[in-house]
Amino acid sequence: MNKELQVKPYEMINAFLLFFVVVGSQIGVGIHGFQRIIYSEAKQDAWISVILSLLLCQLVVFIMVRTLKKFGNLDIYGIHKEIFGKFIGNFLNLIYVSYCSFGFFVIIKNYIEVVNTWVFSYVSANILIASLLLIVIYAFSGGFRVMIGICFIGFFFLLWIPPMLIYPMYYSEVRHLLPVMEDLKGILKGAYSMSFTVVGFEILNVLYPYIKEEDRKSVNKYAQLGLLFTFFMYLFIMLVTLTFFSGQQLEKTIWATLTLFGIIRLPFVERVEIITICLWMVIILPNLCLFSWSAFRGTQHLIKIKPKTFVWIFSLLIFILNFFVKTRTEINSMNNIFGHIAFVVVFIYPFLLFLFGSIKKKMKRKKVTGDTS
Amino acid sequence: MFLCVLLLIGCADPKILERVSLAVLIGYDVKDGKITTNVALRTVNQELQSVVSIASETEETSKGTRIKASLDSSKKIVAGQLRVVLLGDKLAENGVNQALHTLMMNSEISSSVYVAITEGSTKGIVDADYEQITDIGQHIYYLLDHNVQEQYTISSTLHETIRDNYSSFSDMSLPMLVKDEDDVHISGVALFNDDKMVGKIADKDVFYVVLIRDKYKAGATQITLSSEPFKTSKTKLPDEPPMAIDSIRSLSKIRLVDEKTPEFDLNIKFEARLLEIHSDIDTEDDSVMTKLEQEMTKVFKKDIERIIKQTQEVNSDIFGFGETYRATLGTTKVNEKVWKELYPKMKVNINIEFELLRNGVFE
Repeated sequence: MNKELQVKPYEMINAFLLFFVVVGSQIGVGIHGFQRIIYSEAKQDAWISVILSLLLCQLVVFIMVRTLKKFGNLDIYGIHKEIFGKFIGNFLNLIYVSYCSFGFFVIIKNYIEVVNTWVFSYVSANILIASLLLIVIYAFSGGFRVMIGICFIGFFFLLWIPPMLIYPMYYSEVRHLLPVMEDLKGILKGAYSMSFTVVGFEILNVLYPYIKEEDRKSVNKYAQLGLLFTFFMYLFIMLVTLTFFSGQQLEKTIWATLTLFGIIRLPFVERVEIITICLWMVIILPNLCLFSWSAFRGTQHLIKIKPKTFVWIFSLLIFILNFFVKTRTEINSMNNIFGHIAFVVVFIYPFLLFLFGSIKKKMKRKKVTGDTS
Repeated sequence: MFLCVLLLIGCADPKILERVSLAVLIGYDVKDGKITTNVALRTVNQELQSVVSIASETEETSKGTRIKASLDSSKKIVAGQLRVVLLGDKLAENGVNQALHTLMMNSEISSSVYVAITEGSTKGIVDADYEQITDIGQHIYYLLDHNVQEQYTISSTLHETIRDNYSSFSDMSLPMLVKDEDDVHISGVALFNDDKMVGKIADKDVFYVVLIRDKYKAGATQITLSSEPFKTSKTKLPDEPPMAIDSIRSLSKIRLVDEKTPEFDLNIKFEARLLEIHSDIDTEDDSVMTKLEQEMTKVFKKDIERIIKQTQEVNSDIFGFGETYRATLGTTKVNEKVWKELYPKMKVNINIEFELLRNGVFE
């Protein structure tokens, strides 16, 4: 195996940090406005869609970890090469790298759109993106452990959200949740639309070799705990939103979570959502770091490149790409496309990979036993 | 790099208090199909005194009026401190959707601002000379705010207004303001059918509207009873002795019993403290207290029936019976149109559990 690809011992992390990584990678920009998208499919049962999507996530994580366990020290890129050979494997790696870069781009673009709409309507998106990219470069050049540190800190910036939602609960109307389980097809569709909001945990695929070897058996446990935390967050927000808004109102509210914060008026801060949006930078930073890191790991398989060179080229590409997507409608359709791709990459592909992995291992074992006999 | 970011932050659109005027109150009127906007502006000058001025412009969009007002003003106008939005009654009769939509679309405006209707044009209220009131924007805000807190009128934040307006199964209602000689007061609640104002509930009946729509945490009201049951040989009671109750705690529940008619049960649990009563009624006596409770229940029932009838006549479901209807039957069976036809035919059975918990310190 290539020496550069090998994880250095000082870069290894404990498995319990995966909890923070999973939460940090899942909660990002989707949480601002996922309610409307789910509601348009599942109506008042949108919260059931959230539950369904958790179950699906748990299954996927379980399968993912099983696949990774089979191959020991390899991440998804290594596994691709192992299973499909160098040529097809690298082709798949390229696709995965593009997926990660696309994810990065979607997050940064959505966040900047929110900032532009709510806070600084006169500031050019280019300046905002450039400054955010600089922060990502700064974090990236700190190395892998710094990024995990950001995930850890980012987690604590999430904790104030649930208590804040107590204010909007004064306006809640429980009747909006009834009747339960009306349209099963809609609920399933809603769960499908959740994919944009819940993805991120596929980072496990890349992170796995970084977990200390003696800790690897608890990877599944901590990843599942992370999923659970995110789930309760989403479920709580969803329930508050559904009772807070009336149907058509919610369908017209683009960033329902932020509008929820808009009703809060504290004695010392009149407009909580403005501060929320600014703080949100700390919450999306883990997202950005992890996506760029997994893109980097994949690129390493394709060409020989140093982290610093990579991150500068990567940022430059993102910055240039940013000129092509400007309006809200473009961003929305981009989100839709990403949602579909993410569903395939995150929720369907792991099963295929698991299947191929099992076949490959069996064939190998047959070969080995065949040789000895 | 950090320095770089720090420097960039400073570039973003500064709003210095001395150089802006804060819009505290916006009033919308309609005039020949065009919207007239009246804004109460508050500016702070270099000597730290705040000055209030009124700007009033007519233009087709709200931003257009803001640009026009800006051309008149030496300072930049910002809407982040907006507290109250007033809608003139003419506008309300023509439909308020457009005005509300404008407000919601602007991220500058918080969804916790109060919305209210004025009797007459908003200009008449905003742009008048009051002896006592220096800042009309703040004044109306506090007027609404404390009455909403004490539940003397319905809560009408922009969010709640929009919520009811965009719900197909309930209609909105907004407090109404009226100007009398040298003051502004709340005169009742405006009823809406869809986004058009169709009627008004007088201020003495607003108590019941809150009773059905919300739950009381600390309300108060006065009612008059018939004195017949309390008359004894010794006492000299007037025919309709008034009394007052406060510390009201209430809970109301709407249940659908028959989907054809449709028929609803309105169950209200009501607890209160007796505060004022005619001195000749003996409140120590248990049977008198029970009688009082019964009498009050009767009065409540009669009044609630009357008010519901009033809303049915103008087809304005401000209590959200439609929400319950939808919640029980599901969205596939009922839609807005069906409900609009059903509401005037609806029957309501009112059940009130009335309890007087205590009275004052003197029997």
